Amino acid sequence: MLKHTFGVKRLFWRIFIAFWLASLLVMIATGFVLVNKFSSDEYNKRFFNDVVSQAERIVWRYEQDLATSGGAKVKLKDWVNNKHNRDGHLIPMLIKNDNGKTVYHYRLNKIKLKDRTEQHVTGPSNREYQVHIRKPKAPRIYKQVLYRFQSLQFGFIFIASALVSALLSWSIILPLNYLGAFSRRYANQQEVAILPRKLIARGDELGDLALDIDFMINKTHAAASAQQQLLHDVSHELRAPLARLQASAALIEQKSPDSRHVKQIHNDCLRIDQLIQQILDYSKLEQGSPTVENCDLNALCQHVVDNMAVNYPGIPVHFTARGKIELAGYPEALLQALDNIIGNACKYSANGELVEVSTLARELSVVVTVRDHGPGVDDEEMSKLSQPFYRAGNQMHTNGFGLGLSIAVKAINKHNGELRMSSPDDGGLCVEIILPRTLP
Amino acid sequence: MENDKYKVLLVDDDITLCDLLSEFLQEDGFAVETLNSGDAAILRLMETDEFDTVVLDIMMPGMSGLDVLRTVRAKRHVPILMLTGRGDDIDRIVGLEMGADDYLAKPCNPRELGARIRAIIRRTQQGNSSNIVHAQLHGIVLDSGTRTALVNNIALPLTGAEFNALSLLMERAGQTISKQDMTQEVLNRPLEAYDRAMDVHVSRIRQKLAAVSIQDVIKSVRGVGYQMLTEPQLQQEKG
Repeated sequence: MLKHTFGVKRLFWRIFIAFWLASLLVMIATGFVLVNKFSSDEYNKRFFNDVVSQAERIVWRYEQDLATSGGAKVKLKDWVNNKHNRDGHLIPMLIKNDNGKTVYHYRLNKIKLKDRTEQHVTGPSNREYQVHIRKPKAPRIYKQVLYRFQSLQFGFIFIASALVSALLSWSIILPLNYLGAFSRRYANQQEVAILPRKLIARGDELGDLALDIDFMINKTHAAASAQQQLLHDVSHELRAPLARLQASAALIEQKSPDSRHVKQIHNDCLRIDQLIQQILDYSKLEQGSPTVENCDLNALCQHVVDNMAVNYPGIPVHFTARGKIELAGYPEALLQALDNIIGNACKYSANGELVEVSTLARELSVVVTVRDHGPGVDDEEMSKLSQPFYRAGNQMHTNGFGLGLSIAVKAINKHNGELRMSSPDDGGLCVEIILPRTLP
Repeated sequence: MENDKYKVLLVDDDITLCDLLSEFLQEDGFAVETLNSGDAAILRLMETDEFDTVVLDIMMPGMSGLDVLRTVRAKRHVPILMLTGRGDDIDRIVGLEMGADDYLAKPCNPRELGARIRAIIRRTQQGNSSNIVHAQLHGIVLDSGTRTALVNNIALPLTGAEFNALSLLMERAGQTISKQDMTQEVLNRPLEAYDRAMDVHVSRIRQKLAAVSIQDVIKSVRGVGYQMLTEPQLQQEKG
């Protein structure tokens, strides 16, 4: 799950990029419209102003020339070409008087008729003149837009929109991530935690989602505890008829001592009782955790090893403790794990075959190794061993239910530990229990 | 003949089971009376001393077996055998610490129940029979005739099982006695897996000795059993 945290596929980046792009597009479009509308109007106005002022000067000079001499045309050209007499660059234009006679012409012939437009000016003598000019053409709009966007203002807007988009993304993703982490935590620990009120009280869709998850967790928990309770109650209730059955069998036995079937009944009663006990142990491990205690692992191992001498008098169990090993944990669960694993080693060993148990302290974890010299387990079967009610197929043991190892695995998982099994080259089975020193 | 039979009080809320067990135990040679609630058991036990053993189910609705045990033990010394669930370690230890003599996992084979009752009766009546021993060590004086342990002429309040365990340890002072042997000799039964009875009895003896300032005289030998130190051994340990 971690490898996607920063990928483009993450919702955070998708929302961020979408909002950012959208806000940038809106800004560019707005800029475009503004430039298009106001800038070109302004340009045209300035252009015509320039044209009129230049034309008026030329007309004024023309009328002066006309009044003083006949060769007005030549003198006007000379006057215009003198840059002391003109204001700015020369605009291509053609000026005609009210008789249609050309008074002044500068480079307008290159411009097609359809690109021309005309203005009217009035000379000092109140005569009207037609001024032909090229239609004003504002420079390309995108150039203006780009020019505007290169400014510092735009830089600020750019950063601000990125920040706002990121903030928006976060505000959506943060509660989602929290909900995800929350449900993962719940799934791992099987404990009812309460979602923060703040999240539920949001009132928006995320609040609804939180409410739904809260509802789901409560439902799941209710279902799980109902199942645990049922298992527990059924197991307990089975014991009462079992006790009566045993008592009745004993009465039959008392009255006809040679009944061989009664022995069978007794054996099966014992077996059912053991199964009930294992189911109870298993369901107890599923239930909420008891308080964490400081456990002396060597003492727990020694305790279990001592008891093996009672149950399996023919199997020598050697215990080697290396150093003082203490860890935070649930002693009851650890005892069950050790009892089942060391018990299995003894069960699958023939009389006289050595079972070795040793402990080892590491910096952050502790390891219990249980090694037997029995028939061992096939590699492919090893992974199935911890499933409830699974029994290794190459064993014809009727003594057991296949629950032992699942109980052990559950107890070890409760400590965030790990169970490793391997087949040593010289036969038998080697089981390692690795437990962290502290619980998370 | 009727008067020679040992009298057993059977307390269990399961009426059918009580009837079946009572029938079995009567056939096995006991005089059995059954009661189906904790309150009734307390009333009956307070009014009479006639029972040789009480078999008490721990899991009972209302007043539990442990409540009965606590109330009865304060006034009566009748031997009590608890019936506990197989996995209920805590109940067992609490029960033994409250002064129960032994426990048996339920459901059980009634023959085993009969054997346990017999074992308890045999050991509470041991003192009444033969070989009276007077032992003395660390200032503890044992009189197996009267089944009392005296320290500075004051009697230690020991239960039957505790007295037997202490006298066995003193008899073989200096030797390590295995838990198997102790269970066999003190409780008259073989050691079971995860059997805490002997540990609880020994720890209770230690507490009672410590209360009269006798400390560290019983040593635990890890993985084996217990040892009562002789006086030179105790000097050495302390030195």
